[in-house]
Amino acid sequence: MLIDTNVNLGPWPFTPLPELSAPQLAARLAGAGIRRALVSPLRAVFQTDPMPANAALFAAVRRTPALLPVPVVNPALANWREQLDRCRAAAPIRAVKLFPNYHNYRLTARRLDDFMAAVARAGLKLIINIRLEDERHRYFALKIKGVPVKDLARFLPRFPGHHVFLAGLYRPELKQLAADHKNFSADIAFCEWADTVQDLLTVMPARRLMLGTCTPLLSARAQTDKLRLAKIPARTKTLIGTENARRFFDL
Amino acid sequence: MRIIDVHTHPVLFKQGRKPAEVRRLIAHGRRLGIVHMIALGDVLLYGAQPNAAQLRAINDENARLAREHPDYFTAFVYLNPLLGERATMAEAERCAAQPGFRGIKLEIANNAAHPCMRHVAKAARAFNLVVLQHSWSTTNIKDRKHQSDPADTALFARRHPDVRIIMAHLTGIGFRGVLEAKALPNLHVDTSGGYPEEGLIEYAVEHLGPDRVLYGSDLPIRENSVTIGRILGADLPAAVKQKLLYGNTARLLNLKLN
Repeated sequence: MLIDTNVNLGPWPFTPLPELSAPQLAARLAGAGIRRALVSPLRAVFQTDPMPANAALFAAVRRTPALLPVPVVNPALANWREQLDRCRAAAPIRAVKLFPNYHNYRLTARRLDDFMAAVARAGLKLIINIRLEDERHRYFALKIKGVPVKDLARFLPRFPGHHVFLAGLYRPELKQLAADHKNFSADIAFCEWADTVQDLLTVMPARRLMLGTCTPLLSARAQTDKLRLAKIPARTKTLIGTENARRFFDL
Repeated sequence: MRIIDVHTHPVLFKQGRKPAEVRRLIAHGRRLGIVHMIALGDVLLYGAQPNAAQLRAINDENARLAREHPDYFTAFVYLNPLLGERATMAEAERCAAQPGFRGIKLEIANNAAHPCMRHVAKAARAFNLVVLQHSWSTTNIKDRKHQSDPADTALFARRHPDVRIIMAHLTGIGFRGVLEAKALPNLHVDTSGGYPEEGLIEYAVEHLGPDRVLYGSDLPIRENSVTIGRILGADLPAAVKQKLLYGNTARLLNLKLN
């Protein structure tokens, strides 16, 4: 049974992909061997206030237990405490997700001190989404880049008591951060090279890597095959595909 | 399913040349069902503009692979069209005379719309070679001098309708690239390049038909399990997937594999 740490629900305006309902998304994931997934609302990416999209997500997945909602919070807004409180009241959540590059703030912002303390007090894990697509292929008028590694390199040592989850790092970015920082885990959605997982394990312990597919923007089958067919011990596959997420997110 | 990978670089920046590395690569491919690879050469070793001696060195390396493992590798001759007609024809002829060469590989020496490409077309006709042109959308990559936008590769195909051409990197050319290729029956698309973006494979088959889309990985820059999984996971009939993974390349390159 695989657990996917990087899934989205909702429309993406730049492709002709049909919008999936929650059951359809769960079925697609199940077709790739994924039985549980952490799901965030794509609508929140392009809206300043993520709460309407979060509300729609909570409603959509209520009857689809395979999909565990991970709401998006925008700490650049004055009401971020209210956002956290309302999300926690709406559903038994394990984590919240940030989209710094889409919501126009940097991880170096001072206001994140209070936000990180509040997240810790709430017993939540923090997912930072680095990117949703290969910047080379984005819509021509969209100039949003991935979250800068240099910001992450300042953010991680600033919060040594927090272990955060980074979703969507490129392979060189992951390797660069892994050399200096231990207080993060990461998914493998945007890491690819020959023998990807083997390669990542040379710089990162297996307990800090997790399956992430970025479904429905990327192919769930292709992404799970990256792990399923990796030339690594079965025990390591289980850690990356299931156990790490179960432990980290207390599933 | 049996698979032919039409876009591989078994040797890249001199890595992968040793016999043990080649054996490991073949074992890796066979484990995934890849029965044959098209070796395109160590094309970035000397930068964008290799000279004639550098091209010969790269092509000799590629010839060695095809000679030592004829059942597993078919080679393409790597050319720099800016070196002119005489150099282009000479290197194409030298390689085509050796066993195992079936095509021409073009990288980023020049844009595919450049007039020097007529020499490539001449060589392709003279030696019965398929042309594989690196292509990528220049919408966000602002280097059209070296990068061939799908519109440029399509123009090359339109100028030379009797030359069989593969526009590389489906993910790089995107939806716009598929539409550029649509009306050109001599233009094929390989599925290599980029992350496994959902829906592109199906879109390519919808617009190009099941016979002009070829499986490619861009190994070792990309992972075979991912690039194959992207096709196996596509919403297409099994017979179409088999064409993409094997039949289309076997037919285009006239490969007779056991």
